[in-house]
Amino acid sequence: MSIVAIFINIILFLLLAPLFDGVMRKITARVQSRQGPPVVQPYYDLFKLLGKERIVSARNWAFRLAPPTAFASILTVAALVPFGSRLNALGGRVDAITLVYLLTLGGVAVLLGALASRNTFAAIGASRETVTMVMVEPVLAMTLILGAVRAKSFGLGSAVFGAAGAGTSPSTLVMMAAYLLALQAFVAKQPFDISEAEIEILEGPFIEYSGPDYALFRYAMMMKQMFYAWLFVAVFAPFLRTGFYAGDILAQLAGTLVVFVVIALVGSTNPRLRIDQAVKIYAVLILIALGAVGLAVAGM
Amino acid sequence: MDAIARITTELNGRFGADIKGEESPSPARLFVDIDRRALRAASQALRDLGGRYMVGIGYDEIARNGTLGLIHTFAFDADHLVVVLRTSAPAADPAFDSITPDIPNAGWSERECRDLLGMKFPGHPKPKKLILADDWPDGVYPLRKEVPYNLEPPAAEDVAYELDEAPPGTTVVPVGPFHVSLHEPAHFAVYVDGETIKGCDYRGFMTHRGIEKLCQTQVSYNEVPFVAERICGICGSVHAVCYSQAVEAAAGIRISRRAEYIRTIMLEIERLHSHLLWLGVAGHLIGFDTVFMQAWRVREKIMWLAERITGNRKTYGMVLIGGVRRDITPEIRTDIEAALVVLEKEVLTLKNSIIGDGAIHRRTKGVGRLSKEEAARWSLVGPVARARGLGLDARKDHPYAAYDDMTFDVPVVDTCDVWGTLVVRVLEIFESIGILRQALAKMPADGPLLSVIPEALPPLRHAVSMVEAPRGEAVHYVITGEENRPERWRVRAPTYPNLQAVPAMLLGNQFADFPIILGSIDPCFSCTDRVAVIDAKSGARRVLGRAELEGMSRRPEAGRSRS
Repeated sequence: MSIVAIFINIILFLLLAPLFDGVMRKITARVQSRQGPPVVQPYYDLFKLLGKERIVSARNWAFRLAPPTAFASILTVAALVPFGSRLNALGGRVDAITLVYLLTLGGVAVLLGALASRNTFAAIGASRETVTMVMVEPVLAMTLILGAVRAKSFGLGSAVFGAAGAGTSPSTLVMMAAYLLALQAFVAKQPFDISEAEIEILEGPFIEYSGPDYALFRYAMMMKQMFYAWLFVAVFAPFLRTGFYAGDILAQLAGTLVVFVVIALVGSTNPRLRIDQAVKIYAVLILIALGAVGLAVAGM
Repeated sequence: MDAIARITTELNGRFGADIKGEESPSPARLFVDIDRRALRAASQALRDLGGRYMVGIGYDEIARNGTLGLIHTFAFDADHLVVVLRTSAPAADPAFDSITPDIPNAGWSERECRDLLGMKFPGHPKPKKLILADDWPDGVYPLRKEVPYNLEPPAAEDVAYELDEAPPGTTVVPVGPFHVSLHEPAHFAVYVDGETIKGCDYRGFMTHRGIEKLCQTQVSYNEVPFVAERICGICGSVHAVCYSQAVEAAAGIRISRRAEYIRTIMLEIERLHSHLLWLGVAGHLIGFDTVFMQAWRVREKIMWLAERITGNRKTYGMVLIGGVRRDITPEIRTDIEAALVVLEKEVLTLKNSIIGDGAIHRRTKGVGRLSKEEAARWSLVGPVARARGLGLDARKDHPYAAYDDMTFDVPVVDTCDVWGTLVVRVLEIFESIGILRQALAKMPADGPLLSVIPEALPPLRHAVSMVEAPRGEAVHYVITGEENRPERWRVRAPTYPNLQAVPAMLLGNQFADFPIILGSIDPCFSCTDRVAVIDAKSGARRVLGRAELEGMSRRPEAGRSRS
């Protein structure tokens, strides 16, 4: 059963990530008084990109390796997360640090591809992406550490379900606020879509990518967004548990959808910040997250 | 003592021997002919008397008397006066002292005369090509009469514009010739240190259409308004009205009051359209697409209104020398009034959500700062100047059409940044709505739409006319000709002075702010790129096939040789 669950994870992530993206686009369009593309548009986009000719504009291995690496790392994350509120065969063997590392690997792959493409705009994008990674990843780490501290184990299950598993506490609420505020940065939406910033640096790190390579990056981005939205539900909404595997999956998906609605609404009602402005906000978020862990250590 | 007397006394006192003539065809215009020896000193004197530099005009009189003429124009806004300083030099030695060191805004006008007429400006701080293509042959000056309008010199290979030296420790970020934040081709080389902008060089004028040359050689007086309207897709009526006013002033044609009111109405509808369009673009430039979409949704109503009045959503085709082409009937008047009610409500909602949005404040306040003194030194115009405490508005300072009958405010703020330009434009939308209501209410019931124009207009008369475009003051200078068309027609769009000051606005800002700072002047490259002779084809003679293009895009070295 727990091996089947791995495949269920992978299939659900691969299948639903573009749909959530489509929902966000639809909501954004509605806020802007537009009809918007059909919710299945992201699937069409991916198919179109995958069917295009592969154009390699920089002759080095890093440029080619970056998209599959980013995709593989986020797919591995998808495979091992405790979807449906229970650990699968993979998730039981890893700890929270593995999860953070895999996510960082995905980010590093984007940076690698950007720097390997030797484009001025990609370089600016990469430097912004680096700053974002360094400043935002701690909030994710603290969220998992909070669970680990409360459940007294670094196992993946404890880290994810520890924060709210034993009832709501002040530390959980503080961490929830930090996570919510960091959410737009996790999923690279306004006001924190700074490293892609179409109008300034033309999608930054991805400027030299097209066709199937770009499709892999896009797909990885969508799955990353789904992961962060799901993680919020898994960590902070324990009340969605039904006790059945299938019921839990459905409940978590419904919760994830709600998080995506929030992301789309925040994203469509904010302009993009500058990186220097964003860094100040990130710093405050790290402090809040640290405070939450501190509260947990103090037993609150 | 009135302004004309004050200025002539001052000029005569200092340059009496060099002044060859003075005429004042109306209390609002003063033409002074001066020897070129005194040009720079006289320009300085006019600036010190409070004159705001508008534009320089060069013209070819070789066939008539062997000279090249140069004109500098100065506006005395408080005195409702324009002073035109005319001089000339023999074609064999067309050198004029550069006034750019004193008046930076003259830089482009002088470079333009250098490119197009072969004048020389000793003392110019940046004597580089401005308008002509990099491979245009030396010694061919397209605005001289002997050069045919359709000359196509052979293309040259391997010629490129030399960018300014990058300041030490900076990298060059190329914005353009094609970039998503530019709606038309232009090239900004932005020198950045990290993300901080340390300098910027501009190379534009890439889509020259040769409109001035075309109109001076091919079409007739009353065809020009339609060409003028196509100078810019957004302020078309502005250019058509500005040109027509200049010809009417030169030839002494009076148009009916009703026609003037209809021109006023079209100009204000154009302003409403332009400001909403800008608001949307500004939202897009700071990554706020909801503002973009909502502003353009509201703008759509104005497009419908324009279609109702003129038959066209844009490029209205309403203006001719002598008046306008279509009437505003009582039915249309009702439609306009109904549309204004809806519009006012929608814009009020838009205004409240934008003015109260802290995130927009963060992206626009303190961005693109340029002090009031600097703004005056660069002769900025329009909302860009009014956001920096300079209360310029041609509708008040140099009234035309029916604006002398209208009561309206000119919003001025002194934040000196991008935020100020946004506030000014939003407030102007409400003033425009007010002007439209007054114009509809006060419009005289009768009067010919088109006045009768004499068969031949008197030749070689000079006239200058200003219209406050949504982006700022547009200036047209016309010298009437002998062949039923202008001898010389010079267009200066508001982007022309404002764009020259953009490098100063960018200095020290973050690269992320580049799009909105450039956007804050509402740049119109097609307005500035109107002048030279067709050259777009040169260099593109070799047609690249698909395989070649693909090969170029795959070769890692291609296009990267300069970085």
